[in-house]
Amino acid sequence: MEFKNPKVPEGINVSRHSPLYDLFLLGLGTLLLFAVLGFAALFTGSLLGRHAPVAWERAVAGVILGDLLTEAEARRGPVDAELQALADRLSPHIPLPEGLEITAHYWDSDEINAFATVGGHIFIARGLVERMRNENGLAMVVGHEIAHIAHRDPAASLGGGLLLQALTTLVTASGSEVPEELIFGPNALLLGSFSRDAEREADAAALAALAALYGHVTDASTFFDQVLGFPEPPELLSTHPLTRERIDFIGRTAGEQDWSLQGETTPLTPELARLADGG
Amino acid sequence: MELFAEFFGLLSVLFFLVLGYGFGRWAEARHYRSIRKREEEFHDLILVCCKTVPESLPTSGSQMVRGSVVVSVDYFKRFVARLRMIFGGRVHTYESLLDRGRREALLRMQAEARKLGATMIFNTRFETSSISKGRNRSVGCVEVLAYGTAILP
Repeated sequence: MEFKNPKVPEGINVSRHSPLYDLFLLGLGTLLLFAVLGFAALFTGSLLGRHAPVAWERAVAGVILGDLLTEAEARRGPVDAELQALADRLSPHIPLPEGLEITAHYWDSDEINAFATVGGHIFIARGLVERMRNENGLAMVVGHEIAHIAHRDPAASLGGGLLLQALTTLVTASGSEVPEELIFGPNALLLGSFSRDAEREADAAALAALAALYGHVTDASTFFDQVLGFPEPPELLSTHPLTRERIDFIGRTAGEQDWSLQGETTPLTPELARLADGG
Repeated sequence: MELFAEFFGLLSVLFFLVLGYGFGRWAEARHYRSIRKREEEFHDLILVCCKTVPESLPTSGSQMVRGSVVVSVDYFKRFVARLRMIFGGRVHTYESLLDRGRREALLRMQAEARKLGATMIFNTRFETSSISKGRNRSVGCVEVLAYGTAILP
């Protein structure tokens, strides 16, 4: 018997297949799949959150904001009272859902920021008040946060976020082979897009409230003027529209609606004025 | 800025994909060159799968020989393989990994046999196992063991 080693031709055990083509096709498929699933989760969650009974929203707020609200309540002082008074004057011009009331809180932080959260709570940072020249600029920010509450944005965001998180956990915790980054990428884009639309609508509602309260929209862009030039991520990756775009929106809308940008401004109330003057 | 942080993760994936693809391709091409060269060298050392040695074959003795190799998969291959596992189908990116592992293990076994002065190896067998499981239990490294009975002339 004769034995020999045949030379095995190349390409039998290893296919001549471009790995880059594989990556492109499979990557695109996975991205699309999770973009569709993510959109469905975010859309459904937002819808459920936005239309959930107000009583549920207040109950959830009590649970997830418990400590934050207790602390804010304990520290409540004259600045909170003045912010609340401003919010109370703006609220009639931004229709709120039945049973939801605005509670304005002063937030002792250097951040030039404000936020609205579930249960009708809005927080205005010291850093923001310090940069205001008059009540009109501050009213635009407070009005913007009230509009978020009126549009049920915090509840929608919570609902959408929860469902999206549930989907992500379902996929990643099941020990599946899906690379997490391919789920988070489209999700981040979707969240940003949903959030930017809500910001634009809140700007529009706040501007209309200012026009109704003061008869003009002078200095409505104070906040944006203050943060213009601060580093911003590209709009696609941000939860907010670009600052320049928001300033332009105010000018454009004022022109379209015939709202004056040259009206007489209202001075800040005493405690807020003291903060704006540097304490 | 939170969204930006999310995208940082995606950027790091891209970085490792490019690194894995570039370095993986280079290392694989280099390995295949070496495999082909050594396969020529060991061409006359016969590998046989039969369990029994024909009586007509003159032998002075026999000894077990083995060659083992551990090959790690690069980031790119593992990434594409994980995507493939969602949709199913041939995992092309792992084919070359196992092909290299088997051929290298055979060559190491042949090298050991040559040291003994053997001209043939009978009962050639393979064992393959994944010895390192990465995240999500994906394959990290494979060990390929080739063993057989070297026939001493």
